[in-house]
Amino acid sequence: MCVFDYEACLLACAQGDQRALRRLYEQESSHLLGVAIRITRDKSLAEDIVHDAFLKVWRGAGSFDPSRGSARGWVFSVTRHLALNVVRNHYREVPLGDEHEQVAVNDTFEFAARSGQIHACLEQLDPSRRRCILHAYVDGFSHSEIARKLDTPLGTVKAWIKRSLAALRECMT
Amino acid sequence: MNNPLDELASEYVLGTLPAEQRAEVEQRLPHDAELRAAVDAWEQRLLPLTALAEPVPPSAHLWRRIESHLSTARTPWWDLLAVWRSLAGAGLVTTLVLAALLLTRPPTTEPTFIVVLVAPQNQAPGWVIQASNNQRIQLIPLGTMHVPADKALQFWTKGDGWQGPVSLGLVKPGQTLSVPLDTLPPLSPNQLFELTLEDPHGSPTGKPTGPIQAIGRAVKVL
Repeated sequence: MCVFDYEACLLACAQGDQRALRRLYEQESSHLLGVAIRITRDKSLAEDIVHDAFLKVWRGAGSFDPSRGSARGWVFSVTRHLALNVVRNHYREVPLGDEHEQVAVNDTFEFAARSGQIHACLEQLDPSRRRCILHAYVDGFSHSEIARKLDTPLGTVKAWIKRSLAALRECMT
Repeated sequence: MNNPLDELASEYVLGTLPAEQRAEVEQRLPHDAELRAAVDAWEQRLLPLTALAEPVPPSAHLWRRIESHLSTARTPWWDLLAVWRSLAGAGLVTTLVLAALLLTRPPTTEPTFIVVLVAPQNQAPGWVIQASNNQRIQLIPLGTMHVPADKALQFWTKGDGWQGPVSLGLVKPGQTLSVPLDTLPPLSPNQLFELTLEDPHGSPTGKPTGPIQAIGRAVKVL
C-alpha cells in the first residue's frame, strides 16, 4: 500500500476532481470525526462539522500553501477549529437533548506508548500540567472546564497552561 | 516564552482562547504574516496529539451529503444574487414566449398564470408552465432537454415568503406534466419555479442541490 499523498490530493481537489476528495474522505473521515466528536461530544454535530470541513477543504484547496505546513495538518486544523468555534460560541450543553446521540468518551490519555517529539516533551511535564494541555487540545476544554475537571483553581490552570506551552516550545526546538 | 504574539498563537491552536479572542485571531490571520507563522508552527507542533482521539466511522450518508454540496455554491440558489440578475433578463424572453403562445394556442381554458422557464446561462426558454386555476399546473416542454443517464430533473417551486423551495416531483424531459398544487398555497404572482439536476430518485436533502437547468417566475395573465 502506498503512502497517501495529501498534497497531490489537494492539488487535484483544486482542479475540481471530486474523486480526490473522496479518497481523502476514505483516508481521514473517521479520524476527523473522532477529533470532532471528542470536542463536541455529539456525533450528529460532529458529522456536521466534518461535512463543513470537507466543503471548506474542497473550496480552499486552491489556496492551500504547502510552505505553511503539511497538507494533512491543514485538513485536521480546519476540522479542529470548526469544532472549537462551535463549542466556544455555543456553550457546551451537557447533558445533551434526546434527539442527539450522546457520546460517551473515555477522556483518559494513553500516550505513554506513543513516540514522537511532542510525546517525549509532554512526558517531561508534571502529570497534572500534561492533563491540562491534553484536555485543552484533544477535548477542546476551556480554562474553566479544565479547572472543574481537575478541581484546581482557574488562575492556577491558566498559569500551568501558559508555562507548559512555553516548556513545550523550548523542548521542541 | 515572553513573546505575546507566540503566546496568543499557542493558546489559539491549543483551543483555550475564549470565543471573542478566537474570532480576533481568525480575523488577523489572513493579513498578519507573523501571527500566521506562529500559528502554523504551533499547528505542526501539536498535530500528533490528534491521534489521541479514537477514530469513529461516519454514518453511511455523510459522504453523500458532502458530495451533494460540491457542485453548488456556498449559499442556496434562492439567496444567490446572480440568479435574480439573470431572471431580470428572463423577463423579456417571458414576454416574447407568452406573446407567441397567446397567438398560436387555441383559446380553450384561459390560463391565469404563466411561467417561462429559461436556462440560467443563456436564457434559452426550455419549458412553459400554465395554470388555468390555482390548484393545478401544467408543465409543457418546448423541446427535449438532455439529462445524463444517472440523473433526473426535479421540479421545484417557492412563493414569496416561503422558507425554501418545495418539490413538485421528478420530470421526464420532453414530457408534459400535470401537477396538482392541493397541498400548497394557491399560486401567486412572482412565484418561482425551477428544474434542477438531481439524483435519479430526487434530491437526497429534500432541497435543490444540483445545478439549475431552467428557472422562471409566475406572471398573471389578465
